[in-house]
Amino acid sequence: MSELTISIELNGQMLATTVEPNENLRDVLRREGMFSVKFGSSSGETGAAAILFDGRLASADVILAAQADGHSITTVEALNTERELHPIQAAFAAVGALQSGYSAGAMVLGTMALLESSPDPSEAEIRDMLSGILDRETAYVKPVEAVKRAAAMMRGTQPEPFAPLILAPLTEGGKASAYDPNDEAPVASQAVPRLIPSRDVPEMAVVGKPEIKVDAVKLAKGNPAFTDDIDLRGMLYAKLLTSPHAHANILEIDDAKAVALPGVHAVLSYKNTERIKYASGGQSWPNPHPHDQVSFDTKVRHVGDRVAVVAAETVEIAEQAVSLIEVTYEPLPAIFDERQAMEPDAPKIHDEPDTEEIFDAERNIVHEIKAHRGDVEAALASADHVFEQTFRVHQVQQCPIETHTSIAWLDADERMVIRTGTQVPFHARRMVAPLLGMDIKDVRVIKPRIGGGFGAKQEMLLEDIVGLLAKVTRRPVRIELTREEEFISSRTRHPQTITYRTGVDRDGKLVAQDLYIIGNTGAYGTHGYTVQTVSGLRGLSQYVCPNKRFHCDVVYTNIPVPGAYRGYGAPQAEFALEAHMEDIARELGIDVIDFKRANWVTAGSEMDIAPHLGERAVEDEELDEYPKIMSEGIEECVANALREIGWHRRDDPEWVAPADQPHIRRGIGFAFCMHGTAIPFLDMGGCSIKINDDGSFNMLVGATDLGTGADTVLGQIAAEVLGVRLEDIKVYSSDTDMTPFDTGAYASSTTYISGTAAMQAAENVRKRLKERAAMLLDVDEPCTIELRDRRAFAPDGRSVSMEDIALDSLHTQEQEQIMGTSSYVSPDCPPPFAAQMAEIEVDTETGQVTVKKLVMAVDCGVAINPITASGQVEGGMLQALGYAHCEEFAYNDDGRMLNTSFGPYKIYRADEMPETVVYLVQTMEDSGPFGAKAVAEIPKDGVAPALRNAILNATGVAINDLPFTPERVWSALQNS
Amino acid sequence: MPLAAAYHRPGTVDEALALLADAKRVPLAGGTVLNASRDASQIELVDLQALGLDQITMAGDRLAIGATATLGSLAESDDVPRWIRELARAEQPSTLRTLATVGGTIAAPTPDSVLIAALLVSDAQVDLAGADSRPLGALLSDGVPNGAIITSISIAVDGDGASACTGRTPADVPIVSAVARSSATGMVMALTGVAATPVLVAPTDPTAGLEPSGDFRGSAEYRSELARVLASRVEGALR
Repeated sequence: MSELTISIELNGQMLATTVEPNENLRDVLRREGMFSVKFGSSSGETGAAAILFDGRLASADVILAAQADGHSITTVEALNTERELHPIQAAFAAVGALQSGYSAGAMVLGTMALLESSPDPSEAEIRDMLSGILDRETAYVKPVEAVKRAAAMMRGTQPEPFAPLILAPLTEGGKASAYDPNDEAPVASQAVPRLIPSRDVPEMAVVGKPEIKVDAVKLAKGNPAFTDDIDLRGMLYAKLLTSPHAHANILEIDDAKAVALPGVHAVLSYKNTERIKYASGGQSWPNPHPHDQVSFDTKVRHVGDRVAVVAAETVEIAEQAVSLIEVTYEPLPAIFDERQAMEPDAPKIHDEPDTEEIFDAERNIVHEIKAHRGDVEAALASADHVFEQTFRVHQVQQCPIETHTSIAWLDADERMVIRTGTQVPFHARRMVAPLLGMDIKDVRVIKPRIGGGFGAKQEMLLEDIVGLLAKVTRRPVRIELTREEEFISSRTRHPQTITYRTGVDRDGKLVAQDLYIIGNTGAYGTHGYTVQTVSGLRGLSQYVCPNKRFHCDVVYTNIPVPGAYRGYGAPQAEFALEAHMEDIARELGIDVIDFKRANWVTAGSEMDIAPHLGERAVEDEELDEYPKIMSEGIEECVANALREIGWHRRDDPEWVAPADQPHIRRGIGFAFCMHGTAIPFLDMGGCSIKINDDGSFNMLVGATDLGTGADTVLGQIAAEVLGVRLEDIKVYSSDTDMTPFDTGAYASSTTYISGTAAMQAAENVRKRLKERAAMLLDVDEPCTIELRDRRAFAPDGRSVSMEDIALDSLHTQEQEQIMGTSSYVSPDCPPPFAAQMAEIEVDTETGQVTVKKLVMAVDCGVAINPITASGQVEGGMLQALGYAHCEEFAYNDDGRMLNTSFGPYKIYRADEMPETVVYLVQTMEDSGPFGAKAVAEIPKDGVAPALRNAILNATGVAINDLPFTPERVWSALQNS
Repeated sequence: MPLAAAYHRPGTVDEALALLADAKRVPLAGGTVLNASRDASQIELVDLQALGLDQITMAGDRLAIGATATLGSLAESDDVPRWIRELARAEQPSTLRTLATVGGTIAAPTPDSVLIAALLVSDAQVDLAGADSRPLGALLSDGVPNGAIITSISIAVDGDGASACTGRTPADVPIVSAVARSSATGMVMALTGVAATPVLVAPTDPTAGLEPSGDFRGSAEYRSELARVLASRVEGALR
C-alpha cells in the first residue's frame, strides 16, 4: 500500500499527516489526540464517531482519511479552549443529558451545527439531528432538552435552572384515590421529572437537589476518560478468532502461518494455554457453579465462541493473522430452543469431564431451582378459579455503545495492570488472577469511565485474554470488540418459556401461584442460576398469596451466551405476571386496577418467597420471620400514572376506534412493578474519605459508575453529611489498588449499599471534624457543633471554616489526617415500586404497533438526585421498549445471527421515540441512606406487559410472545 | 474499511473513466457502503468527490440531481418536491445522510430503499459517463456497466407523491413500502421490500408477478399482504 500525505483543517489548525489508503478518519483523529471521537461500530450507524465535516454532522467511521484531504474537520475539542464549558456543553451538563457521556462529543457537535443553521430549532429538527447518534441511556429526553436550552442560551436568553416540577400528592398515605377523568395532568417538558415529596422527608442542602454530575466536565468536553483513551508505547492489538459453528469439536489448530506473519507477536489457543476452569459471571466469591469455561477450549458451543487470539503490531495485521489460522472442526448437532434442550435426543453440550456441578448434563440442565411456601397443589385444587398461561420471551442485548474493551500491561513492578470497561473491577481481579497464574495481589484492575454497561460488563469477558497476551509478549495489549463481536461474543438477555398457574377465590383474591420457567443460558452457565432465581423472586413477590411455588430448569443451548442484563430476570417474569393478571381480571370481569390492587403488597406485607431463593436461600424452619415491606408509595404512583396517561380513554369506544382512521385501534395498558434494592447479606460497598488542606475532601469508592451518576449521588450523600457543597467532594472510582472493595454495579445496589458506606464514612469524618472544631472554638461538647455551609458552628454562632480545620489538623497542632472509612452490607432489600403505563396505536391491517406515550411513576424512596434518577427511568424505559417492541436476535438454521448491526437489530433512535414522562414519588425508606431505595432497574420491568395489555385493550387480542413486531401482531389479529 | 491498496481522486470525469478502466479500481462516492464493508479483497479506490457532480438544478421541466449530491442536500433542496425530500431524509439518519450520495444509493441498491422507489416513480433517467443513459429501472436490473460512472439522475417533478410503509418502529427501514406519484399522465407506483431492488408495479394490480423473499422481519406471505394494503393506501391518498 502506498501511503498518502493529507492536509486537513482540524479544529481551525492546518494539519498535514501521513495515512494509509484504507485508514479511516476516526482512527486518524484519535491518533491526533481527538479522543472525543469514539468507536461504536465500523459502519457509522451509532454516531459515536460523528464530527463536523465541512460543518456538517457526519460519522467518521465511514470516511476514509484520504477522503478528508482538503476538508475542514471539527471535533468537540475545538470548544475546549478554556476551563469553563461552552454554552452547549453547559446545557448538556445542566439538564442531566450526560450519562455515560460516551457519545457526548457527537451530540454537542450536532447541536452546534444545527444551531448554526436554525437558531431556534423545532423539536422535530432537534430529533432529526440526533437521529444518527444512538443512545442507550437517556431515551434522548434530556439531550433534546439540552439542545433547546443551548439554543436559548446561544440566543442570549438565560434559562431557569433545570429542576423537578414539585407536585402535591394525589393520595392520603396508602389509601387509593378515586380517579377523576377531568383532573388534567400538569404541563411541563417531558424532560422535567415530576416530583411528589413526602412529608416524612426533611429538607436537605445537597441530597434531593438536581446537582450537576461530578464527571460532567470531562464528559462534555470529550476528555480522554474511557478505556481506550490511552495510547501506551509499544501497544499490541489483539483480535479474536471465533467459531463459525454453533457446536463443534476442534480437532486441530494450525497457527504456523499466523505466527510467521511479520508483526505478529503471539497466537494463543487451547494448544498453548493452561486449562483452568472458571465461570465468567462477575459475582461474589465463591462464584456459583458450574465453572464450565476455560480461556480456550477444544470445543466450541456457539457461533462467536472463542477459538484463538492474535496479538500484533496493528489491528490490520492481527486481522490478517486471524484469517491465516487453520482450524479443523468436527461439527456437531446443535440446539437453540430451551424447550427442546431437555429432550432425550438433544445434543449434549457440556460433555467435558472436568466441569462439576451441572445438575443433569445428559439433559443439558445446568440448574434446577425450586422454592415454595404453603401447599400450591392443594390450593389450586380447591380454588374457585384456576388460570394457566404460557409465555415466551426472547433474546436481546444490552448494546452498550462502547463495546467491550480491555488493555493490559505489566507495570514497573511486573504486576499486571488491566484497564477495562467493567462493572465489577474487584470480581474481575479475583477471577482473572488464577487464569493468569498470578496472585490477586499482583493484579490491578482499573475501571475508567464506561460507555454503558447495563449488565453486559458484569462479566470477566476479555480480561484474561489481554492479561495472557501481555504476559506472553511483555508488551501492552489492547482488545476492542467489533459491533458484530459484541453481539455474538459478549452477553445477552436470557430467553425463557414461562408458565403460570394461578388460583383465585370467588372474592378475587389469589390463593395459589405456581411458576415454572425454562431458562435458556446458552452455551455457558455464567449468570444462569442467579438470573433465573431473580425471575422466580420477581415473579412471585408483588402480590400477596399464601401458596407459592417456583420451579425452574436452567438449560444449556447453542446460542450466544446470556448473562446479566439490567433487570436481571425481572423483565421476563414481570411480563408474564402482569399479562397473566390482566387476563385473569378480564376473565373474571373485574377492573384490572381493582383486581391488582386487591392483591398487591402493601407496607407490612411479608416478602415471603425471597428468603427461599438465591445464593443464601434458607428453609422455613431457619427463619424467625419473613422480611417485610417497610415503605411504599404504590397508590401515589398509580394515581399519578392514571392521570398522566388519561386512563379513562381506554374505555371510550370512540377513542379506541377513531372514526376517521378505520384501520387504527388505540389502547392503554398498565403494569404494576416491584423490584429489589441490592442483595441482602451479600452486596457490600466500601468508601474512604479524607480532608485536604483547603477543606475539600477526596472520596474513594469501589462502586462503579457506569454513567448512572453513582459518583455524583455518593458525593451528594457525603456532602450532605459533611455540610459542604458537592464540588468540595472529589470522587474517585474505581481502582482495585486505590479504592475500597465494592461488589460492583449491579442488583440496583449502588445508591443503597455504597451510598450507606459513603454516608457512614462521612459520619466518621464528621465526628472528627466536630472534635477538631470544638478544640478551635473552645467548645466542651463536640456533639453540639453543627456542620453546614462549609463551616463548623458552635451553639453560640461562632464558626470556623473547613479550611481552618484542615490546616489546623494537617499543619498546626496535634497533627493528623482526618479521614473516615466504612463499609456496608445490608440485611434488607427494600423494594421500589412503580406504575407503568403505555399508550399505543395498532394498525390492524399491517400489525404495526406505534407507541405514543410511556409513563412511569416510581417510588424509589428519596431520589438523592432527581435529575439523574429520572434519567435512569427514561433510559430504562427506552431499553424496555426495545425489548417489548423491536429488538431481537435473529438466527439462521445454523445458529448464525443474521442481524449483527444496528438497523437490522433495531434500537430506538431520537426521531421515533414516544413521549416519555417520569414521576418520582418520594417515600422515606429508613434503612436507606437519607431514605433512598433503588431506581436503576425497575424501569425495565413494566413496559413489555403495559404494551401487551395496551394491544389487548386496543384489539381484544392477547399476544404472549415478545417482541410485538408487525408480523407477529398481524398474525395474531388474523387468527383472532 | 475495505482493503484499499491505493486511493485516487481524479479531477475530471475523463480522468475518472481512465482510472476505472482498470478492473481492480472501484468508484467511491459517499463511502457509507464501501467504507463500511469488511471485504478483504484488494482494491483501489477512485474518489468521485472532485468531479463537480454534486449539483441539484432544474433542467427544463425536469430536475437534474448530480450523482454525488448527498441525501442531505437532496432533503434540503427547495427544488426537490417535498415528498421526495421527506423520503431522502428517511433513507438515512443525520450522520450518514450528509455523506451518502444519490448516485451511490442507486449504484448499490438495497431492496428497502424508499428513495429509489421515489426516483423510480419520478421517471428517473440515469446519465452515465462511459455508457449510455438509461432508465433507473434498467440500471437497477443490470447494474452500473463496468468502467462507467453515474453522473446525474434526472426526474420529473410534476404531480404529487405519497408513500406508506410498515416497519417495526416509525423510523425503521420499512419492511415494505409503497410509493406513488400521480401526474397528468396517470399514476406510477413502486414497492420496496418485495424484490431484490425496489420495483415499479401496476397501481391496479400491485402484487402481480411479485415473489417476495421472506426474512426475519417479514415472511413472503406477510410482505405480499403488506404490498397489497400499502399500495391501496397510497393509491387512495392520491386518488
